[in-house]
Amino acid sequence: MRELIKSWKTVPSLAVLAGLFVAPLSLLFVVSFWSKKLFRVVPDFVFDGYQKALVSYWDVGLNTLAIAISTGIITTTIAFFFAFFIRFKAGRYGDILLFISLVTLFGGYLVKIYAWKSILGLEGILNTALVGLGIVSEPLGALLYNRGSVATALTHFLLPIAVLPIVASMRNIQDITLEAGRDLGAGPVRILLGVVLPQCRAGIIAAFAFSFLIAAGDYITPLFLGGTDGAMIGMFIASQFSIRFDWPLGSAMAFLTMFSCLTVVLIARLAIVRGRK
Amino acid sequence: MNRSSEWGWWGFGALVVVFMTTPLILVVLFSFGESALTNFPMGGITWKWYDELFANREFWKAFRNSLTIAGVVVVVSTVIGTMAALTLARMRPTLSQPLLIALCLPVMMPPLVIAIALLVYYVRWVGVELSLFTVILGHLLVTQPFVILIVYARMATFNYELIDSARDLGANSWVTFLTVTLPIIRSTVIGAGLIALAVSLDEFLITFFTISGGNTLPTFVFGKIRTEMDPTINAIATILLVVPLPLAVLHQVGAALLFSLTLWVTYELSG
Repeated sequence: MRELIKSWKTVPSLAVLAGLFVAPLSLLFVVSFWSKKLFRVVPDFVFDGYQKALVSYWDVGLNTLAIAISTGIITTTIAFFFAFFIRFKAGRYGDILLFISLVTLFGGYLVKIYAWKSILGLEGILNTALVGLGIVSEPLGALLYNRGSVATALTHFLLPIAVLPIVASMRNIQDITLEAGRDLGAGPVRILLGVVLPQCRAGIIAAFAFSFLIAAGDYITPLFLGGTDGAMIGMFIASQFSIRFDWPLGSAMAFLTMFSCLTVVLIARLAIVRGRK
Repeated sequence: MNRSSEWGWWGFGALVVVFMTTPLILVVLFSFGESALTNFPMGGITWKWYDELFANREFWKAFRNSLTIAGVVVVVSTVIGTMAALTLARMRPTLSQPLLIALCLPVMMPPLVIAIALLVYYVRWVGVELSLFTVILGHLLVTQPFVILIVYARMATFNYELIDSARDLGANSWVTFLTVTLPIIRSTVIGAGLIALAVSLDEFLITFFTISGGNTLPTFVFGKIRTEMDPTINAIATILLVVPLPLAVLHQVGAALLFSLTLWVTYELSG
């Protein structure tokens, strides 16, 4: 109790948390049980929102999970090998590579989406290059507005975020453990998967959790790069609040999405922890 | 280790670096290109997109809003975040760990969910007018976790005997803080403020939903991408990319801080 009184200095931060996070989210949860009558949202206790969300948006929800899970796995895999390269192979260039990854954290989230739109578009840089080099005769329309373009842009955005925790957890691995593995006759693959991987699973879990959660909650990337094929749930949640004003439906979709995402993260964590034994 | 696998690793590393940097390099490059299309051939070298951007009054309004918001957010967030971190660092772990995790939850949620929750909260429950003020509140929520984590991580290696000595010599807690604690952790606190600045300047979703009228730089860029793909976006992008860089480089600890932060988060998540 004395400790609590002494801790008044945490009050402003906790007030921000309580007033701007706990309260709004709890109230959003309450709103998800309200009903929508014509143009008004009225207090109620019904499951209309959840029912509508599951009936009308299950396909978008699954599409979202598919895109987010593949983005998470691709990002984490590239990040793992790149982190391994930085830590054990690049020597004195490792720090420079890490710095480059840090720099690409800046530059803005919207700017990166815009850059990918200019690269992958019908009259974009990649198409011009492909046509110019005579690899294809017509510009490819299939580069943009699908799951692949969304996953590419998301991977680009998330890669530096995923590299950092894995490099951080690899710092703790001594070079001598690798040498020991080599001396005992383990090949490069065995060392990578049997010696390094188990020792940085904390970083891998963090990298996957970050990249998967951010991807699943994103809505601007699919809005600009997704087309109909790459549509994600965030776009539909946002439109319930900006155009359609169906708050109960939007809130229900938000909570279902968060719940599914948490489940995926917990399963992934379990898989990674178990896989080591 | 044989030669070819060594080459394979370098090839892979180079590919990843190209993938990470090319989009950003292209944006910077085309901001100086004569051509109105973001594509090759880019034409001659020109400043005209910057001139056009600087002649746009909406850009300056957005710029001013972004600076106002970021300015308030950095100061408030750094002060209250540091206060909280210093206190949490001296608490029993059984008390401080749950509090830390709770304080960091807002950055582990999709920003869209926080944005709509705040919108509904402001409009329906509190009845406050949406303005720069409501945006600032939202930014505080998502910047303070970074400040708290960074300062908290620094305090793990802090020598508390220095504080005890100062107190023994008769300094009160304020004097001790200003003359002992703060000078020692100053670079960490500045670094934490810079991270808060970067997060606030780049924040889009919460801003977009809680600003009602007006623009910040990210919402201004959003409007431009949505309506016309015009090359002044390259110019803004270059500014946004280049401006934080000297800050981060000058402040060498910036990178180290981010590193210790992720190390800590990693450690936490691994339970």
